[in-house]
Amino acid sequence: MQASRARLFKEYKEVQREKAADPDIQLVCDDSNIFKWTALIKGPSETPFEGGVFQLAFSVPEQYPLQPPQTGEICLDILKNAWSPAWTLQSVCRAIIALMAHPEPDSPLNCDSGNLLRSGDIRGYQSMARMYTRLAAMPKKG
Amino acid sequence: MVTDSITNASIPMATSNPKDFAKKKRANRSAKLKQCKLDARREQWLSQVKNKGCKEEADGLVHARDASEEPRREKREVSTHHYSDSDSPSNSPTSPTSSVLGSNSSGTNFTGSSRGSSSSSSSGGSCSGSLAGEDDDGCLDDWEAVADALVGTDDKQQQSNPISDPPLVQLGSHPELGHRKGSGVEISRPNLDRVEKVQRATPNSRAWKPDDAFRPESLPNLSKQHSLPMNSGRQYGCGGGVWVCKKVISAPSSCPICCEDLDLTDSSFLPCSCGFRLCLFCHKRILEDDGRCPGCRKQYEYEPVKGEASLDGGSVTFRLARSCSMITRS
Repeated sequence: MQASRARLFKEYKEVQREKAADPDIQLVCDDSNIFKWTALIKGPSETPFEGGVFQLAFSVPEQYPLQPPQTGEICLDILKNAWSPAWTLQSVCRAIIALMAHPEPDSPLNCDSGNLLRSGDIRGYQSMARMYTRLAAMPKKG
Repeated sequence: MVTDSITNASIPMATSNPKDFAKKKRANRSAKLKQCKLDARREQWLSQVKNKGCKEEADGLVHARDASEEPRREKREVSTHHYSDSDSPSNSPTSPTSSVLGSNSSGTNFTGSSRGSSSSSSSGGSCSGSLAGEDDDGCLDDWEAVADALVGTDDKQQQSNPISDPPLVQLGSHPELGHRKGSGVEISRPNLDRVEKVQRATPNSRAWKPDDAFRPESLPNLSKQHSLPMNSGRQYGCGGGVWVCKKVISAPSSCPICCEDLDLTDSSFLPCSCGFRLCLFCHKRILEDDGRCPGCRKQYEYEPVKGEASLDGGSVTFRLARSCSMITRS
């Protein structure tokens, strides 16, 4: 408990310091609870996610950093069995950006996109991903 | 502390430093013990920063720094009052009268210190007064960096003094205390010049340069304070911070997992061949958990770990011997 708190404070300071270094990631800590974080991640350019801003809610367990932070449904090994306490919230965000740029068809969260990729339909995958990006991660028009 | 420094005063600088070193170590340990309280303070500070503007932020920093300073010396009450008095007005450019008042109060403090230093056989009271004031200023840069850095400050200080600081060489023959005090006064005469000299001689010595990208935005802007009339001590404070903060860069000071300071045992503890270091406490927690090295995710090997622990004991004594030699060397 104490350790996770100290660690999160350290990460908070690190985030403040590196704001300029990582313009695609915006990590905000809840005003009253250091165990609740919100990340805003820009979709990487030259991917179907470009132009989208993805909001992630991190819920940090008390055993952090021995246990990974909990977030929405992301099939990312480092958020599960490949987690290492040396990772930080910031590096998790970077890994998510990397996952957006290099999708993992063998471990898809969305089976459809996984199937499209595995069958070699890159265009199909991209247009579907673009559609979801527009639906979920872009400001509504009108 | 006063009696301490007086006994120090009769000893040449080189031998007085180990004592100072031990003192700082002790202070560091008690600072750790206060971690709990500190955490609460930090949280308070955090919400303060979030809720309020820039000025409050700076004040919050001061408070937090105070908290970290707390265990360090008995004179603290006085020094922090002086500090926050002179600091908070300096951060609000809209109140010139109060800033003058603030600087006046710090001014008396500094004249006190100069009086103390003008005679080498100064009274204990003025000694500690000047020391406290100066040290407090030395923490301007970052309260936590200072806390982190306390462990091995002194050897660096010794190294940097004779080389980078010609005026200090002459003072170096004085007892440690006289030297400190003297430098505090010295600076009030050629102050800009001196600070520049320090910075030129040790270019990497600042933890964060004002234009450094890594400099936390939450740090108060020192340039504001430079424009005050009573800035000499403060500027020296930056110089003092230089020596203290240099440590942060040169030594891996904290465990990457829990962010606590690494003590000597921890920093000589190498549990995995990949070279990833962590404190013994976190290592134990990981062994109880999944037992994989955070650096390479390979399983920690239990038996070699035990062997390492005994090996570790050996290296601890080695380390101690080395730190002794560090002290005697200079």
